[in-house]
Amino acid sequence: MEGDLLRLEKVTFRHRMSDPSRLKPWRTRPGPGVHSITLSLRPGEILGLVGPNGAGKTTLLRTIAGVLPIQNGKIMLSSNAKKAQVDSDSLRSIVGHMPEQVRWQGRQSVEDALLELAEMRGASAKRVDGLLRLVGLSQRATAHLSDLSQGMRQRLTLAAALLGSPKFLLLDEPLNGLDPVAATAFVQLLHELKSKGVSIIISSHQVEGLEAITDRIALMHRGQLLAHGTLAEIADSLELQPSIMVAGPGELPDLSWCEHRVESPSPQDTWAIRLDHSGVDLLPKFIERGIEVHSWNPKSPGIVELLCAATGMNIEEVGLEITSTAMLPHKSVGGEEE
Amino acid sequence: MLIMLPILVLFLPGMAWGFSDPNIVLPGGHQPDQPMEVMFYASLGVVFGATMCGVLLAFDGVSRDRASGVFELRLAQPMPRTHQAIALMLGMWQAIFIPVAVLSLVSVAIIRWRLGEWASVWDVMIYLTATALILFWYVVFTLLASSRTKDQGTAIAFGIGMWFLFTFLWALFTTMVAYASGVAIGEQNDAQWIALEGSLDLLSPNGVYHHLLETRIPEIERGVPAWQSWTMAVIWTLIPSSFFVRRMNTLQP
Repeated sequence: MEGDLLRLEKVTFRHRMSDPSRLKPWRTRPGPGVHSITLSLRPGEILGLVGPNGAGKTTLLRTIAGVLPIQNGKIMLSSNAKKAQVDSDSLRSIVGHMPEQVRWQGRQSVEDALLELAEMRGASAKRVDGLLRLVGLSQRATAHLSDLSQGMRQRLTLAAALLGSPKFLLLDEPLNGLDPVAATAFVQLLHELKSKGVSIIISSHQVEGLEAITDRIALMHRGQLLAHGTLAEIADSLELQPSIMVAGPGELPDLSWCEHRVESPSPQDTWAIRLDHSGVDLLPKFIERGIEVHSWNPKSPGIVELLCAATGMNIEEVGLEITSTAMLPHKSVGGEEE
Repeated sequence: MLIMLPILVLFLPGMAWGFSDPNIVLPGGHQPDQPMEVMFYASLGVVFGATMCGVLLAFDGVSRDRASGVFELRLAQPMPRTHQAIALMLGMWQAIFIPVAVLSLVSVAIIRWRLGEWASVWDVMIYLTATALILFWYVVFTLLASSRTKDQGTAIAFGIGMWFLFTFLWALFTTMVAYASGVAIGEQNDAQWIALEGSLDLLSPNGVYHHLLETRIPEIERGVPAWQSWTMAVIWTLIPSSFFVRRMNTLQP
């Protein structure tokens, strides 16, 4: 597909943290953020940004959106065989940014709020009308912002991100607050934009839903990019095997002959087991031994498993590690973390 | 704004009505009989009422949008942040200045009706310019405070605190400096006190505002030439504005 390629090369941004001393109460030091992120966004691709709370997803999106400055590294834009470094000002004109959970409020009308942003971007009133129709808010154009539901606010934020027909779209938790119908329509809209060559980065906690939407995944943890690629590529790089969920009636049969058994959850009156193997040649062995099998479901490693494997932590450690110290980059990036 | 309008009406045309009363006698037996003199006394309404309304309008100019996430959307637009800062200052300033200017013109008409004499065009121009400037200063101070704070309570406390400092506490500051300098305090016929008070007023936005108005009243002489008053007005305009522009350029959501 033709289009522009955005490439991040060792992009770093770290927030300043208060670190007062007796003589310098105003002293700060580098705190959490993103460290040395190298990543490319291909034309017409949807990239999923995945990581636990405090992984640096929002900071990375803000840096790409030109809202936060790039402290180290650079962002390159390849367009028509030309490659050039882009600064924050240039980024803002080609990137549409949808921040997380914008709480629109006040007596301003929906249309006026969008027109105000449109003027800042040089978009026309006609474009605003079109976007309100696109996100399903044309009937609420004259409503006050305070009267909008959370889902409608999300739609308005999306419309704001689409002002100026951006080539790159950054969506921070876009599905939050959307009902299932709106979420489905939203995903369809993303695919439409993708078919028009818009490259999209989605950050979301709803990792299971992301698998179906995205072309590639980028795993983030503690401000660093752990892995990126398709699910299969990442699974390969982490040496994660596909598994099979096998279930049958009664008690768990003798499976000592099977080397690839991983775990055996045992609900009442049934047995179930996960086999750590592609398993094509295993089914005949089950049949040969007369083991009754109700279901045989091959399963690729999910995002959560990839994240656990990439960080070397179990799911509780990854999910609940949200303290500020945990947000500091894992690798040594300067004296202050040593 | 609708809530502030009665306050502005009471403070601006109301004061013009009161000070243009032909029978009024001010402390010291003074009776204002010139239109500009009445406007000068009525400018207390600007100092006490209009500046407070400016603070109340601008205190959440940045902090509210910052807290709601709308500010991040604005920062993500290609419009340069310097332009955004200037637009924010001018937008907030005009929101308070337009009603104040209209009510000031109403005050001029009231004074004409009560004294039978129009203020000169030049007097009205200086009055409106000085009023525009003092409102701009307060709006910019408040926006600066709003950009520093992350919650609206702190922003309004900072804005009102600053208003309180220049409106009420400045007299205390002047008195303290006079006491430390060995100058007789509050002695209206003491040249030293008048000169000290005039000089210190240049360091306060309210003081500069009154110095600007005094340039049109020859009877008031406090030893501060007009060029000094206008220079300080430019400084009071440029320094806080440039601070705010710098702040906006480095502000994070």
